[in-house]
Amino acid sequence: MGVFPAQYPKEILWAMNVVPVEIWDPPLKSTAASAHLQSYICSVVQLGLELVLQGKADILDAFLFPHTCDSVQNMASVIFDYIGTRKPCYFFYHPKAPYGASARIFYRQQLSDLANSLASQFGPLDPKTLKERVDQGRYIARLLEELYQLRAQNRLELSNVAFYQLIRHGEYLFPDDWTPELEKHVKQQTKGPGNPRVPIILSGVLPNPVELLSLLDKLQVRAAHDDFLNGSRRLLVPGNDFKDPFEQLTESYFSMPPCSTKGSAVDRRRDYLFKLLEISGARGVIFNIVKFCEPEWFDIPNLQESLKEKGVPSLVLDTELHQGLSGQMATRVEAFIETLG
Amino acid sequence: MSLYQSARYHFMKDVGASALLRLQKKRKRKRPGKPEPYLGPPLKCSGRLREIMTRHYYLSRFAPGAKPVAWVTSGAPVELLRVFDFYTVYPENHGALCGAQKRGPELCSEAEKRGYHPDLCSYARIDLGHAFSGKTPAGSLPRPQLLFCSNNICQTVLYWFKALSHYWKIPLVLFDTPYNFTDIRDHDVQYMASQLREMVPELERISGRTFSETRFREIITIARDSSALWGDVLATMKNRPAPMSIFDAFVHLAPIVSLRGLPVALEYYKILLDELQERVHQGIGAVTHEKKRLMWDNIAIWFKLRDWSLLFAERGFNFVAATYTNAWAETIHYLDEGSPFESMAKAYGLVILNNNLNHRLELMAQMISDYHVDGLVVHSDRSCKPYSVGQYDLKRLLSERLGINAVVIEADMTDSRAYSEEQAKTRLEAFFEALESTP
Repeated sequence: MGVFPAQYPKEILWAMNVVPVEIWDPPLKSTAASAHLQSYICSVVQLGLELVLQGKADILDAFLFPHTCDSVQNMASVIFDYIGTRKPCYFFYHPKAPYGASARIFYRQQLSDLANSLASQFGPLDPKTLKERVDQGRYIARLLEELYQLRAQNRLELSNVAFYQLIRHGEYLFPDDWTPELEKHVKQQTKGPGNPRVPIILSGVLPNPVELLSLLDKLQVRAAHDDFLNGSRRLLVPGNDFKDPFEQLTESYFSMPPCSTKGSAVDRRRDYLFKLLEISGARGVIFNIVKFCEPEWFDIPNLQESLKEKGVPSLVLDTELHQGLSGQMATRVEAFIETLG
Repeated sequence: MSLYQSARYHFMKDVGASALLRLQKKRKRKRPGKPEPYLGPPLKCSGRLREIMTRHYYLSRFAPGAKPVAWVTSGAPVELLRVFDFYTVYPENHGALCGAQKRGPELCSEAEKRGYHPDLCSYARIDLGHAFSGKTPAGSLPRPQLLFCSNNICQTVLYWFKALSHYWKIPLVLFDTPYNFTDIRDHDVQYMASQLREMVPELERISGRTFSETRFREIITIARDSSALWGDVLATMKNRPAPMSIFDAFVHLAPIVSLRGLPVALEYYKILLDELQERVHQGIGAVTHEKKRLMWDNIAIWFKLRDWSLLFAERGFNFVAATYTNAWAETIHYLDEGSPFESMAKAYGLVILNNNLNHRLELMAQMISDYHVDGLVVHSDRSCKPYSVGQYDLKRLLSERLGINAVVIEADMTDSRAYSEEQAKTRLEAFFEALESTP
């Protein structure tokens, strides 16, 4: 199933033996999408639609559109209502913060509604299997937490490029295939800190263009943690064990790190960044923001100001997917890293 | 609330505001406007509208300390705030005002200086720019105690109000409306109704006033009746010639947006409707020789309102329908004083921008038929993603299905820096040619 960004209960899909294949940044040149979308729409949405229009998503059995932002919302409607895909389309609205008590009840209902709609195509959801998949999700969350911790402590001998390849495998691998890979890397942790590299935090939607990661590798900089929408912002908090898997998933949604696309308050996002800085010892933050991404761009001035007050240098990059880093942008990154010492 | 501020507010309400309006009227008399040959006589009600809105903005300065003050998004269920006597200010309406007075770029720049990206919504940049600099053509706006937001029109308002909430360190109350990818479901309605109920104690705390269900029902009735009248006002444009144009409606929309639920809005639309019916009766059109009837999609280009009104009128083209102005008449009829919370959930959860694009397509097709529309102008508004994403297909589908001429204009509602006069002119000339060659 093709899944557009960003928040959805993947455990329900796993339990129905469905592989979610997340569509964040397909490596395509946007040509056909411009007949449907204005030039001021972000490249995540442009490329997602391009994938559908070029027929490169034809091997998928269905699509799932979580409610992430205005552009993803309307792209879903353009595909479903206007273009047509001949594939079943599912939608998933998740509540936005600040949450009232009713948000939890609503989210729980959304989960069962999604499961019921999927059942007509993929068969009924077996509660026992769902519980197993939810437990597997929590196990993966623990592994990811450990990997991020190792990364923060410089005890993971992986380049920035390799680390994010590993994390992003979770966007399309079935958990049974991804788990061994994660376990392998946890086992490969070094006893003490590896070669000293300048620790920084990366924030934004996703680690693209990959040239940014390569440049950081070249400059001996370690992404010690991240606040990426497709990275740590989707990390589950293993937390308490609930008997009811739907309750567990509900608990997970409301305990996840704050995110612009969920309407989280700026203070919560600031505190989360401060926490990441503390646990990783990072010396600066690079905001790698996709052009025209409204939820992200609105938070940037306040986050930057908070970092400045704390004496943490930050750099904002306005990037397009797969467009590489311009010479000017690379120079800005280099100059920023130099200031971190 | 302080006694002094309360007394000052009431004095201004009863005496000060009236004196100001008299002074304005006197000044206005000295500068009579030049009649436009292609436009029908101006609406007599316009003066009354100016008075109402001037009074509203003027009195807002004296509201802090006398009344609880809230800034509200245009799609938020303001009726609930009225129960607690909040003085409400609409930043979107203020943004439109700044746009119409061509102050958009100046105020946007104030936000940009603070790091807000020029690609962000220009209403938001204007509003943040005002918050940072105090600049406004309205004299001044009161600082709020509460930000009341609903994401039924866009998610942007949530990001924007979050920024204000952080800057002023004041509470933000969100009315979260699940987007209707297909049909609205019972549990969507229950979720929205529950949120409204949950807001009551918070609003009581902030306002220091107690919730009254009787008062709530009364306000709901006023809001529903005002909205129905607004719908009747718009429906007068089904007549040939249409007694007003959408350019007029963009302006006369202000009370239903900003004063919804107050008796003044209800009274105003009664007067406006009477005047329009009289014009219909006398065969007076907004455009002197109405040849073609057009429909507008999206928010107005506020800084081009006057120019475009003349540009179209001189060719005998009149805008008689718009999805934007229709939005405040489309769903408020769901409001039912018998089930205030649930009905309010439906009325606000079903607004055009919270509905899928198939709904918009069908609605526009129906309006094109009802209003006898010959052509469609689609404003692709750089600032407004939920209104703009899908418009290319919408235009194509409506043209194919109904055979009407349509044009897309790339612009922005208030930031004229994102508008190219040359490009718009070229597209419009081609559109005019096509329209004129169609019988």
